[in-house]
Amino acid sequence: MQKKPPYSTQMMFRVCLVMAVTIFILQPFNAYAIQLHASSEGIITHQIGHMFFLFSMVVLIFTITGKGLDRQKGWRRIQYSAFFFILWNLDTITAHFFDNQIHAVQIENISFEKIRVVTNNNSSALAWIYYSLKLDHLLCVPAMLFLYKGLSRLVKDQQQITAKKDTP
Amino acid sequence: MIVSFIPILAVDVIGSVAMVVIALLCFYKARILRGLDPDNAVFLYLLWISTGFMIFAVSRSFGHILKQFLILTATPDIWYAISSYSGSINTASFMLVGLITLFFNQSWNINEKILSGRKKLEDTHIELINLNQTLEHKVIERTERLTSSEHKARRIFEQSLDTIVVIDEQFNISEINQAGVVLTGYNKNEMLAKKMGLKDFMARASEWERICSLLETHEYILNEETDFLRPDYTQVRVLITGGVDYGAFGCGKTFHFIIKNINDKKQMEQQIAQADKLAALGELSAGVAHEINNPLGIILGYTQLMLKEDSGFEEDLKTIEKHVKNCKRVVSDLLSFSRKGTLEMSHLDVTSVIDDVIKFLGNHTDFRNVEIQLSVDREEPLIIHGNGQELSQVIINLMINACHAVNKKGRIEVSAEKVDNNEIFIIVKDNGSGIRKKDFPRIFDPFFTTKPVGQGTGLGLSVGYGIIRRHGGDITARNRKEKGAAFTISFPAAAPV
Repeated sequence: MQKKPPYSTQMMFRVCLVMAVTIFILQPFNAYAIQLHASSEGIITHQIGHMFFLFSMVVLIFTITGKGLDRQKGWRRIQYSAFFFILWNLDTITAHFFDNQIHAVQIENISFEKIRVVTNNNSSALAWIYYSLKLDHLLCVPAMLFLYKGLSRLVKDQQQITAKKDTP
Repeated sequence: MIVSFIPILAVDVIGSVAMVVIALLCFYKARILRGLDPDNAVFLYLLWISTGFMIFAVSRSFGHILKQFLILTATPDIWYAISSYSGSINTASFMLVGLITLFFNQSWNINEKILSGRKKLEDTHIELINLNQTLEHKVIERTERLTSSEHKARRIFEQSLDTIVVIDEQFNISEINQAGVVLTGYNKNEMLAKKMGLKDFMARASEWERICSLLETHEYILNEETDFLRPDYTQVRVLITGGVDYGAFGCGKTFHFIIKNINDKKQMEQQIAQADKLAALGELSAGVAHEINNPLGIILGYTQLMLKEDSGFEEDLKTIEKHVKNCKRVVSDLLSFSRKGTLEMSHLDVTSVIDDVIKFLGNHTDFRNVEIQLSVDREEPLIIHGNGQELSQVIINLMINACHAVNKKGRIEVSAEKVDNNEIFIIVKDNGSGIRKKDFPRIFDPFFTTKPVGQGTGLGLSVGYGIIRRHGGDITARNRKEKGAAFTISFPAAAPV
């Protein structure tokens, strides 16, 4: 029986620690430090995060192709997943740009069933674009689904390899 | 612009739940993948990615669902209060995913190194297994060869008809084969238990000293003749060859000897020499007898003529006649010993000849107190090609000699048998004083006798020897183990008529 390397749990612990520290640092309290930060800092950070996420997904797609892994079905599905995450990031970046950054669009709840999309220049096109951008789960759920399918395929392939090895 | 909220709400809530479920499934699959090959750095990377996505999905979905819930329950203020936290966690989570994703290349390279190392390790392992198998095969092969060689050596040692003996540094026997046991007459365990050596077999101690001296000088001895004395005090003539073995692999110094029993060979050589001597004597006797026989005939003739006339020397002439007749008898015996001419030979039943001889001698006064035991195989005809009168003469001579040996009051055994279907043996044994060792080489010589002067001419055995040789047979004499002597006559068997 192979012993599981101890560094995996250590790494998990480290990741959690980094996350905890990150959350603590990014708390939206007034930072009573030497320099005061404007309230728009939050959305800028969020947008940078989306762009970083998008960038990492682009890198992942090219790395998979570069390594020739796209010939394997599992990795190809992970590439599709990355592609959908890129689309999702573009969607969210655009949506946040309109509502949180330039405040060109606002949503008002009228009732349970109705909302009002208010645009600065009363542009219905912008309103519709914004409305469609709000349906971002239509991009991130397929992305996640492709990731799952990719992993499932990799598991299947690996099981076949292990079974072949075990066959005398 | 007023639009329906339902699609946004439905996609948001259902999508959030789906995100959480699928992210958890991804994490589950990544764990399985990692479990299948814990050393694979890429699978570890995928586990991290899945963990990142799980955190991202849970935090984001929780935020979205909570947001919709609070807005729908007309408590948007609460949402506004916590939205900053939710957004920050969400930002941190997908930044974390992005960060982990960028480590793919490094993970891949690490994994490549691990795989390369593992491949090398596997190759080395296979090579090692192959080497091990080769080694095992070689060990098996060499063990088989060694066993075979040991078996051969052991068979040579055990089956050899010559004695093979191994002696240690203290000159004690450490190994001896079955031929050695037969030759020496000692039990193997007895030899080992008593720590016997070659010295204990020697008939003369000086011989062992001589052999030791040769071994010290040359470290070997070659064809050294000596006599062994058996526990029953019989001597065996042997030929010894041996050498020193300084041993290998930590074995001590040993001496190896091969000992040949040349007793039979020596005896045969002596017999051949005896036969040659007797043949020469026969030639000489024939010549002498022929030269003497004619003058003796003339002397006897004239003596008998003179006896017919009244000369006044009748008594003297009768004495001359008596001694001349004695001389003629001796000459006749000598001629008989050396006779080379043809005889009247016919198929002869040995049993009937022996019966006649015993019947004849049974009436003789000398045999009155002698017990004659007859042992003849009467079921099988003992037929030889020969002259009945001469064969009777030989047996009578042997019987008379035996009678004298037992001082006319002992036991004489006469036996006849067919051996191996092609040889007939007649054995005459007595329980008398036996033959002195020094007399053995001369008993078949003409005129050799152990009887007092005037009681024997010493021609009986030599004449018998001549007759048997003419019959194509052989005669040997030996002393019996118990008491007395035994004469064995052998003839080639003839096919029954």
